[in-house]
Amino acid sequence: MKIYFKSLAMHLKGELEYRVNFILSFLSQILVFFTYYFIIIALFAKFDNIKGFTMYEVLLCFSIIQFGFSMNEVFARGVDRFDRLIIRGDFDRLLLRPRNIILQVLCSDGDFVKSARVIQAIIVMIVALLHLHIEWNIMRVITLLLMLLSACIIFFGIFLLAASYCFYTVQGLEVRNVFTDGGKHMAQYPIGVFSKGFVLFFTFIIPYAFVNYYPLLYFLGKKDTIIYGLSPLLVIIYLLPCIIVFHLGMKRYSSVGS
Amino acid sequence: MKAYYTYFKLKFITGLQYRSAAWAGISTQFFFGFVYIMVYIAFYESGGKNIPMTLSETITYLWLNQALLALVNQFTRDEELFKMVREGTISYELARPKNLYFMWFFKVLGQKLAAVTLRFFPLIIVTSLLPEPYGLGLPVSFIGFIVFLLSLTIGSLLVTALTVLYPIVTLATMSEKGIVNLMITIADILSGIVVPIPFFPLFLQKISSVLPFQYISDLPFRIYVGNIQINSCILPIIIQFIWLILLIVIGNLLMKKNLKRVVVQGG
Repeated sequence: MKIYFKSLAMHLKGELEYRVNFILSFLSQILVFFTYYFIIIALFAKFDNIKGFTMYEVLLCFSIIQFGFSMNEVFARGVDRFDRLIIRGDFDRLLLRPRNIILQVLCSDGDFVKSARVIQAIIVMIVALLHLHIEWNIMRVITLLLMLLSACIIFFGIFLLAASYCFYTVQGLEVRNVFTDGGKHMAQYPIGVFSKGFVLFFTFIIPYAFVNYYPLLYFLGKKDTIIYGLSPLLVIIYLLPCIIVFHLGMKRYSSVGS
Repeated sequence: MKAYYTYFKLKFITGLQYRSAAWAGISTQFFFGFVYIMVYIAFYESGGKNIPMTLSETITYLWLNQALLALVNQFTRDEELFKMVREGTISYELARPKNLYFMWFFKVLGQKLAAVTLRFFPLIIVTSLLPEPYGLGLPVSFIGFIVFLLSLTIGSLLVTALTVLYPIVTLATMSEKGIVNLMITIADILSGIVVPIPFFPLFLQKISSVLPFQYISDLPFRIYVGNIQINSCILPIIIQFIWLILLIVIGNLLMKKNLKRVVVQGG
């Protein structure tokens, strides 16, 4: 763990060397990501609600997903850009070191400009929470924290799966965008607004529904059962097969040379 | 002229080689198309006041958007041009005895047309076979379709002129990060590929109607679905054409100006 934070600090220092560039990119990230929120706000100006969800409920839902995705972009950049490691042959170097391999991949890269998105997601979340009149109690706080945590975990799992795919194809997979970017776009709305087949797929195959739908229902007081509030815990189990797949893929790995 | 045509043809044929990339693109666009459509259906079912387009108009608009995305978007930047500017290989280009602006223009046009040719047909065919309400609808009328084609042609040239403009601006700013990326993002939103222009707040609709971006694809798509009547689309098409000429002139002038003080970094 110490190694990981040390390498993150190194990446941060590296980026701060180009200070003006860092600040400019940081600002443009904020503006670029405002556009996503803009879509939601624009549509809610014309429509009353979406299947019973109001604008602030959707914004809350989206900010949580956005938070999880961006946290991964900042802290798990190495997994996101795993194909580079393979193509350049740098992965061989990691294999020689006597440390956990996933940890090393995590250490290999970081992108702090993207922390602009994390901050923005938190701001939107706070704004949405202030408008929602939620009856706070300890369970709701736990549910919210679990949602945030599971959002980080689910994208980490998907990034890891996409990375394992690189062992077979060497090149990054463009279709993975469907599950990362596409999933992110879809999960900005509570999954329940989609048709049945989609809901089933994104409950059991890629469990987005446990991140932002079932717990959201509990959090907003639409459902009272506590199971709904605790359902994000299931996402943690989802991480296990992802790690196993990664290790299986690694066994098949043959270097590209460099 | 012949040199430019050869340049265009070369890029077009090269572009047609990227078939596996096209398949990946098609599947992504199907997925995104479905997600967007389901979101809109859910919105329409929940009701609202002063909804600017009917559901079937919106769905057809969204499928046209996905099918032609490779042509009408500005976010796939021409990396080769940016690289020339960044790494100084532009000096080779400058050695050629042809107008650099038009060389770039036809190069980008060729690439865009190749990309859209590969993606367009599968998407159009499958989406028009989809059951109600998910499918792509027919054009509003025969004349509407002809006007749509005319407007789309001007729109494609317009988006090409814009795509060439970004690396030219980069000649002055040196790095395409920051300002130029920001420009591209804003241009993409105002072109209506994220949300159709009629769904914008009124003040933004007004701003966007004097900018070139909504004339790339929003205008032709709305003519196709009949959201803009045939007899009221003459003025927008004239504006579209004026912007095309204007952007080509601006691009040329800016390039001349920026090339005067171009510094080739190393070699």
